[in-house]
Amino acid sequence: MHEVAKKIIQFILKWCSKIYLWRTKAHTIVIAGTTGRHWIKETVVEELEEKGFSARANTKNFNAEIGLPLSILDLPSGEGNLFRWLKTLWQAVKKVLVTRHQAAGEYLVLEMAIDRPDNMKYLLSIVKPKTAVFTTVTMIYRENFENLDGIFLEYKKLIKSLPWNGLAILNFDDERIRNLAQFSHSRVITYGFDEGADFRVRNFKKVADGQQLKFQINHPKKILEVKINRFGNHHIYAALVKEIIKENYRMPTADFFSQMYADSQKLTPLIPRK
Amino acid sequence: MFLRTKNIKVSPIKQMELLAARIPDVVSLAQGVPSFDTPEIIKKASIKALKRGVVAKYSLTPGLPELRETIEQKLAEEEMYYDFEKEIIVTAGSIEAITASLIALINNKKNQVILFSPSYASYPEAVKVAGGQPVFVNLIESKNWQIDFKQLVRKVNSRTAAILLCNPNNPTGTFFPKEDLLKIAELAHRKKFVIISDEVYKDFVYEDSILKTSDVQNINDDFGASDVQRLNFFSLAQIPELRKIVIRVFSLSKAYAMTGWRIGFLHSDEENAKEILKIHDSLVTCAPVISQYAAISALDFSDKEVEEFRQEYQRRRDLICRHLDELSDFFSYQKPNSSYFVFPKILKTKSSWKFALNLLEKAHVAVVPGVAFGPSGESHVRMSFGRRKEDINGAMERIKKFLIK
Repeated sequence: MHEVAKKIIQFILKWCSKIYLWRTKAHTIVIAGTTGRHWIKETVVEELEEKGFSARANTKNFNAEIGLPLSILDLPSGEGNLFRWLKTLWQAVKKVLVTRHQAAGEYLVLEMAIDRPDNMKYLLSIVKPKTAVFTTVTMIYRENFENLDGIFLEYKKLIKSLPWNGLAILNFDDERIRNLAQFSHSRVITYGFDEGADFRVRNFKKVADGQQLKFQINHPKKILEVKINRFGNHHIYAALVKEIIKENYRMPTADFFSQMYADSQKLTPLIPRK
Repeated sequence: MFLRTKNIKVSPIKQMELLAARIPDVVSLAQGVPSFDTPEIIKKASIKALKRGVVAKYSLTPGLPELRETIEQKLAEEEMYYDFEKEIIVTAGSIEAITASLIALINNKKNQVILFSPSYASYPEAVKVAGGQPVFVNLIESKNWQIDFKQLVRKVNSRTAAILLCNPNNPTGTFFPKEDLLKIAELAHRKKFVIISDEVYKDFVYEDSILKTSDVQNINDDFGASDVQRLNFFSLAQIPELRKIVIRVFSLSKAYAMTGWRIGFLHSDEENAKEILKIHDSLVTCAPVISQYAAISALDFSDKEVEEFRQEYQRRRDLICRHLDELSDFFSYQKPNSSYFVFPKILKTKSSWKFALNLLEKAHVAVVPGVAFGPSGESHVRMSFGRRKEDINGAMERIKKFLIK
């Protein structure tokens, strides 16, 4: 696609998503890091839905300058076709003008991908997250960064952007991620295998159809056992984050009752009306 | 001097293509290559990667982590759960995955590999390259090319290292029912051998291939055509308890029209994967990096194109079958329910090589002689309906003229 057209699309999508977020007051949870974002995103959405929240996440890998606004607006990509893009932009404008309270109370779980310095500044100009989950800073997705510290500086911008009543969830096993805690104005909860993590894996074993893990929560102290049907450490991290969300997200009273009212419309009255 | 390669032959499919290239105006139904070009979105992603300057260096031996993560996500959609860090290896097409797996598995004590006949022509040579001995077990044509289990049980012994199956099967265009696959798994578990399941055609299963009415009744009206396929097509890799004895192979060549990109992957339990990785490293170091970037885009964004290909192949399948119906004095055939091959039996000649050569010389149509796919493939020819409709019509008209002269 032509660079100028791309800039225009990016500009329109950015402002449409900003207005959408402002109008709907959606609660955003951001997943950042170089690996394992997808699985954490999935488990966070799963946990929120289990708790009765209305939650939505990025589709596919829509997580950068254009993908992120598309995810917020829940719209498809034009995929290099100008006519399809025009349709998407029209839908974006319509969504911003029409959407009112029906999307209010929505929880958006968004992966954030950065591939060059200052990317985060741009993404944060669209989204103001309430919670941010940080996974890893590794070599493998270095892209246009000189070194890993360049990526760290981007994540520093993200953690600093969290509000005082926000929540930063940090991977304790990754030294750079762990060090982000000192820049946070909000509450910090850590997870990982290493001693010192607030949600720590005590032991785990691979079984025929998945992994069994035992983990310890420090505040308040308790030990939980979980079995997951997936393989690999990234799923263990996802299970820990799920538990953190479970412990820390409770439906606000107002939302609880509005949900109850909404659900009650679907119920059959005990005494049928005449 | 070349003792090891003395008994290894160039694939008869390639031989036929070479012969066909010498004759002008040949219509080829021989090679199993899709007529489509790679979808635009995949080409664009690879150009973007090229411009970003990220394709000039080797990737990690098992492949780009972002691709393996995408593969893990894609597998999870199909209820196969594998760890991208330790259990998925990106390979240079499926044949590299198969050969690397065979080299890792075959040793002095266990050197026999069970192959179904007819099945993909390159399997016996891959087994020989790995220093093994192919052992053929027949598929029963009258039962829509299902497995002869009596023969299978007889052929399995303490020297059996693996069974290599193509599902859906090339050249018969049929797939194995779940019950049969479970029987193979039980046998593999008891006799301690590994199942290599090559599933490169799994995206091309046709809507009229539902096997049992009970299955149909269970399908909710909300399901689409592709969901119906998934309900019917089954992979042993979906059963976590079997992951140690199953190596599943997939290639992007057919599903995404990417034969020239040489990109595929395998997945198995980490114990198997770490051994195969050593061979993969020795053979190719890593899969072509530009193709790996293309594969990310394919798996993420090309479901729509795959479905369009499938629907078109189904139309072409029906077209070639209509032509074959008009030639019922010369061919009998089982209607394929998957892949893009039909494997008709030649009724008036025994030698499939002779028939194929005659057809090439006199009618200028290239097909693959059935004997290339194993001993029980004799008296058959493989025709690909992966070719364009015009090619299918042109080739079949020439065959009609040649036979009804």
